Amino acid sequence: MERSDVRSLYLLGAFLVCAYALPFVIGLGAGTVRGDAAWLSYLATVVVGGLMQGGVYAMFAVGLTMIFGVMRIINAAHGEMVMMGAYFTWVAFFYLGVDPLLALVFTLPLAFLFGMAVQKVLLNAAVGQPELTALLITFGLGLVMIYTAELIFTTDFRTIPYAPGTVQITSTIAVGQNRVISFAMAVVITTTVFLFLKFSRLGKAVRATALNAEVAMVCGIDVRRIYLVTTGLAAALAVAGGALVSIQFGFNPETGVLYTLQAFAIVVLGGRGHYVGALIGGLMLAVLENLVSLMVPNGTAMVELAAYGLMIFVLLIRPGGLMGVKEG
Amino acid sequence: MARREHTRNLVLLVVVALALALVPHGVSIYVRSFLLFTMMYVVLALSWNIISGFTGYTSFGHVAFYGVGAYACAILVADYQWHWLASLGAGAVVAAVMAVAIGYPVLRLKGPYFAIAMLGAAEGTRVIATVWDSLTHGGLGISLPSADTSMPAHYAMLALMLATIVVAYTVGHSRFGIRLNAIREDEGAAEALGIDATRYKLAAFTLSAIFPAVAGGIQAYKVLYIDPPSVFFVQITIAMALMSMLGGKGTVVGPIAGAVLLYTAQELTWVNFPTAHLIAYGLFIIIVARFMPRGLVGFAVDRGWIRKGMVH
Amino acid sequence: MGESPDDIALDVRDLRKAFGGVRAVDGCSFAVPRGKISGLIGPNGSGKTTTFNLLTGVAQADAGRVLYRGEDIAGLKPFQVFHRGITRTFQITRVFREMTVFENMLSVTGLNVPDHAARARAEELLDLVNLTRLRGEYGGRLSYGQQKLLEFARALMTDPDLILLDEPAAGVNRTLLQHLLDHIHRLQEQGKTVLIVEHDMNVIMNHCERIFVMDYGVKIAEGPPAEIQRDERVIEAYFGRRRQS
Repeated sequence: MERSDVRSLYLLGAFLVCAYALPFVIGLGAGTVRGDAAWLSYLATVVVGGLMQGGVYAMFAVGLTMIFGVMRIINAAHGEMVMMGAYFTWVAFFYLGVDPLLALVFTLPLAFLFGMAVQKVLLNAAVGQPELTALLITFGLGLVMIYTAELIFTTDFRTIPYAPGTVQITSTIAVGQNRVISFAMAVVITTTVFLFLKFSRLGKAVRATALNAEVAMVCGIDVRRIYLVTTGLAAALAVAGGALVSIQFGFNPETGVLYTLQAFAIVVLGGRGHYVGALIGGLMLAVLENLVSLMVPNGTAMVELAAYGLMIFVLLIRPGGLMGVKEG
Repeated sequence: MARREHTRNLVLLVVVALALALVPHGVSIYVRSFLLFTMMYVVLALSWNIISGFTGYTSFGHVAFYGVGAYACAILVADYQWHWLASLGAGAVVAAVMAVAIGYPVLRLKGPYFAIAMLGAAEGTRVIATVWDSLTHGGLGISLPSADTSMPAHYAMLALMLATIVVAYTVGHSRFGIRLNAIREDEGAAEALGIDATRYKLAAFTLSAIFPAVAGGIQAYKVLYIDPPSVFFVQITIAMALMSMLGGKGTVVGPIAGAVLLYTAQELTWVNFPTAHLIAYGLFIIIVARFMPRGLVGFAVDRGWIRKGMVH
Repeated sequence: MGESPDDIALDVRDLRKAFGGVRAVDGCSFAVPRGKISGLIGPNGSGKTTTFNLLTGVAQADAGRVLYRGEDIAGLKPFQVFHRGITRTFQITRVFREMTVFENMLSVTGLNVPDHAARARAEELLDLVNLTRLRGEYGGRLSYGQQKLLEFARALMTDPDLILLDEPAAGVNRTLLQHLLDHIHRLQEQGKTVLIVEHDMNVIMNHCERIFVMDYGVKIAEGPPAEIQRDERVIEAYFGRRRQS
């Protein structure tokens, strides 16, 4: 790596350390931080819970980074696909009586087809165009999805009561059962996708296209087909994310908006097109959010600010993120 | 362009200005409000076009300046008893400072990264407005004292629109505008021709921030109540972008036409299809972005109805 | 700050640039004579492109100096290099595609003249390269050869004293190449200095008065074409060492 490249990486690392220290500092000042063992084990619980939440974030961020990496376009409707996943699961649970995890068996293929359709009809025309085209198209798609959901389900918040118990991880740390299950599922799904990308022919073709689409074409890869697979996969991951999120938190048609921004922040932090980066980014963002929520007064509003702040500072220090080259 | 054409355009502008100045006296409040919003969107679309159309840096967070202007007016008028016109000036100054502060680091980013960074900046500004409640009253919003009629706001917006049109027109037909276009087309080649891209971008960005801020201030004065979600509404940025794209990005007529057409269409759809109109709007965005990225002006140029280029 | 003799236009001293571990330019020095056409050649990987980028400000040197009119321009950005009176063209044309030919010409800065004078100059240059009838067409719609001519004319708007041409012969047919070379000679007759980076040996040998040869990031030879053609080191750089049988 060039000198300035290494320098920006160190700078980013220093910034991240400060970012994590900041909630503690603010909390010390605001009195929300205590040094006793009970609080510390509570802190540990929050961190562990954050890591698990991050696993789910990472999973749908991988989809976004895939689209961005392979096609260089931004999917502003990604959060809406997550939201769609949550509603699919809800419908399966309340109308068909299907277990949310089991529902994945048919919601994932459905999502894959949806992604392919979106790519074919809408996004193929946006590849290679200036970024505004894809941004507007996907934003329009997101709007259509939000308001269709509103028409069908109203703006009421929905929840799925599932696995209400807690799991004792250690003697002092207990995490909600639904969160553990989500995390486990996210690990399974993400690992499958990683293995697919690394070892299968199609997966390698996806990675090749991300590196250089022209060369991939010359090597005989049907780039258009790769695009379809990419968006299909990304949609499936997003929907899976929605399903796993739906058993932990309440949702309504507009919750997707925040997920989109969080996914952007994760992709920026991890590096465009870098899958392991998305994983790390997801974990880091979730933990940071949970720390902020715990220690900073007005924490719930500040959680959003944590995501935006993280994203902007990473863009300013090292747009390529942790795993990318300096310029992205 | 020949002097003749400039004169013709000026005459056209004066005629439109006179019409817009006189019309409101004889129409209903609803029509007056419609005109105000249309003029506002012309201002917003033209401003957005300066940084995103001419210079090619797609700002997906321009609503931040609009919101800041709205808050400047609201805070100064409601809490500090300033005259609202003075608060508009203050809003413009704040927006300009903010543009330089944000622009200097963020304009170094390329294409999609710049867009996302601006989106983050706008959303971040919204959250700051929500939590900094000692200044902004947070989520409660700010109420302004009402005015006797809506005419002052109308004239202020008309004046703003005329100013924006004149500035956009001057930029678009000057060598400054050509250089902005050059930066958009190929920043490296532009630098090789002596263009200090950093300075030009920053100038364009700051210029594009001032007018939305004043527009925001006028809106606050008219609407009498603002809060963070209404004023930092991401769909306002989308509207700016869509209007410019619909009319023709990178031109002067384009954003004006796009703003008038889109806003009128929106109003008609909303009135007639209250629930489905947002879905229709989303579909409309998709269709325009997918099939008409060069907009109406681009379409006309391709057909040979309008000459290519801005400077002849 | 050293002084260069008056007959030197560009004095390159011990230029160095490394990318990671690769030393692309490793102590390169040469002096471009004023008022003449010079050539910079070298096999692939010799560092001549990097050197060119260092001269034009596209890349920042790690060490070394580039003296122009008594000033070290080595650390300057491209637009600053331009304002010192040095212009350049690109190997693969970079005309502004969605702007008209005329607008391309007017995009140039540094002309502190009123509008009408700038336009007059643009018209004059377009006439010189025979592109006047295309002045209202988008740059992107021009043929490759026409784009080359446009870029060349564009680079002459400010009447620069030093013109750096990046592979002017690349992708160009014989007729057009002859036109370009005629223009280049005309520039030299006007007292300007031209430095050409090229692969096309015919162009270099037949049109340059002085040639600098690079390999492995340094200058390995310099001189008039006749000498360079016979120089053992140059032959070795391009063709490899002659095997002793």
